[in-house]
Amino acid sequence: MEHVLTILIADDNPSDRILLKAILSQFGHKVITAIDGQDAIDKFDPDTIELVCLDIKMPHKDGWEAALEIQHLAGDLFVPIIFLSGIADPIALSNCLRIGGIDFISKPYNPALITAKLNAIVRLLVMQKTLEEQRDALSAYNEQLLNDQDVAKVVYENITHSNCLQDPALSTIHYGTHTFNGDVILAAYKPNGGMHILLGDFTGHGLSAAIGALPLADIFFDWTRKGFLMRQILPEINARLKNILPANMFCSAAFIDVKVNNKSIEIWNGGLPDLLFFPSAADKPVRFSSKNLPLGVLSPDAFECEIDPISFVPGDRLVAFSDGVYEALDSSGQMFCHSVLHPLYQGDIDAEHSLDWLVDQLETEGVLKNPHDDISCLSVRLDSNIGIDSSEQEIRKGHDEAPADFSFEYVLNADSLRNTDPLPYVLQILTTVPGLSSFSSQIFMILSELYSNALEHGVLKLSSAKKSSSDGFVQYYDERERRLSNLVDGYVKISVKVSSDLNSRSLILYVEDSGSGFDYHSVNYDMSNTELLYNRGLALLDQLCSKLEFSKGGSAVTAHYQWQVGGLG
Amino acid sequence: MVESFIDKKTGCLTIQIKGRFDYSCHKAFKQAFSKGSVVSSYDVDLSEATYLDSSALGMLLLLRDHAGAERSKIRLIHANNAVVEILKMANFHRLFVITE
Repeated sequence: MEHVLTILIADDNPSDRILLKAILSQFGHKVITAIDGQDAIDKFDPDTIELVCLDIKMPHKDGWEAALEIQHLAGDLFVPIIFLSGIADPIALSNCLRIGGIDFISKPYNPALITAKLNAIVRLLVMQKTLEEQRDALSAYNEQLLNDQDVAKVVYENITHSNCLQDPALSTIHYGTHTFNGDVILAAYKPNGGMHILLGDFTGHGLSAAIGALPLADIFFDWTRKGFLMRQILPEINARLKNILPANMFCSAAFIDVKVNNKSIEIWNGGLPDLLFFPSAADKPVRFSSKNLPLGVLSPDAFECEIDPISFVPGDRLVAFSDGVYEALDSSGQMFCHSVLHPLYQGDIDAEHSLDWLVDQLETEGVLKNPHDDISCLSVRLDSNIGIDSSEQEIRKGHDEAPADFSFEYVLNADSLRNTDPLPYVLQILTTVPGLSSFSSQIFMILSELYSNALEHGVLKLSSAKKSSSDGFVQYYDERERRLSNLVDGYVKISVKVSSDLNSRSLILYVEDSGSGFDYHSVNYDMSNTELLYNRGLALLDQLCSKLEFSKGGSAVTAHYQWQVGGLG
Repeated sequence: MVESFIDKKTGCLTIQIKGRFDYSCHKAFKQAFSKGSVVSSYDVDLSEATYLDSSALGMLLLLRDHAGAERSKIRLIHANNAVVEILKMANFHRLFVITE
């Protein structure tokens, strides 16, 4: 026998004690002896003693009393106890086993029987030890895992929550089935006002679902901040997810672009239940169903952006939810989309309280108690001031005073007009100017107004009068799409000049297009007529710039923007 | 539950789903299409599938990848209305042939 045990023997009969010690020592075991029950308890050390042999009849606490106290001392450790007995009374012997003994050895001792029993006990101890080691390893592993999850959760939440979800225009609900949530709601202000919102639902739940949210959020925030458009951000997210996710994972999502300068939203839906647009003036919501494959399914060259535009008036609402709501089962086992959600689709629910109503329904039908999918809902109260005040950044003083003096010219011909959006690149160069990054939202707004005027009215010859109704608005954008894709001739020239004079800095943006110009003398800069769906762009520009000049019959415009540095201390 | 059989003449592998088509089918579904025999086309028979979740959509994409992505020949057949609705919401009719 290879395994050497440390054994405690208690027997008040010296000859029995010495005999047993001799037999056990013969096999190499280390033996400690005690002369009675109390002595055994005193000598018992749970950390070293691996087996205890107790005579039943002893003075100062008998074997049974000693056994109970020793078990108590051993606590969680398993220390087998064997009773030694000269008696053959079956009831006394069964009592030994009942109080926790694992076996008994009857006197007189038979060395062959003792050897066999010890072998059995050693096997038991080895098995016990292995189990304890596995248990400890498992709990250490589990602890490590929980710790890792906690760290990952912090990182995950920092990345996915570094957004503007607290904006008063947004209300959201979020119920996860795991520590990690496979649903994400992201919202970010655009540099020129307005907001990008994304509601995404990754395949599966838990950590494996959450992991894809990191690159998604990363691109979403970074590209929005840099001024990229929804049409540019979506293909990038799709390509990145396609690249990194396994084939069976993807992200059903809705992307909403809130454009405040022309009071419209654009909706891209890939695999989510219908988004609902509630015009305050109509009874029923307009439904925007999924027209795209989810993100991360198609290869970059096959990816398409099927986008629906709609114009809004302040107070209209947009509601979106993940399929955790749509496919939730009501108490009768029917899916929500076929039962509970009906009144919402019929317009019987007050749009403003639709989220509270949804939570009530989820609660009443018992979905929240036992959700088997992550649940997310989003409601946006549309308004033309979204992202306007809040995008105002703190103006830093002091180190932004270094003068800058440069100019460049960027000419886009037909092919490039079709395929690129130059604005993020121009903005990127401009924000390298010390101090100008504080004004990037205004600069971006000026740039994008100038550019879209040049492109849409100049090059594409679209008349903004078309935008005067909601329907016309959609037609306008369809027409814009059509003309742009068929464009063969035309250009937009952007020229930028930054100069410094003492504490004054100036930026001159000159934008010229190949169009035939327009009657700029009749432009109405009055912003008060907010009912007009069009022509608000120029009024806005006029307010932002210190000077706005037209030339070349209206086909060229120069915007002067000025700011001061240091002067105020 | 997943069952599959191959028509040796046409080289068409039929994978039949019974009951809920969700993550519990993952292993069996993967095994069904990666058996190694020569297959020229696939039919996924959904006539007895009562429900399908996003991990099932994921499995269909796995099959599509396995079958050569754009070059794959996969039909999703006999799906009930609820299942077709989910497939359509994900716009899977652009990736698979869906027949009644």
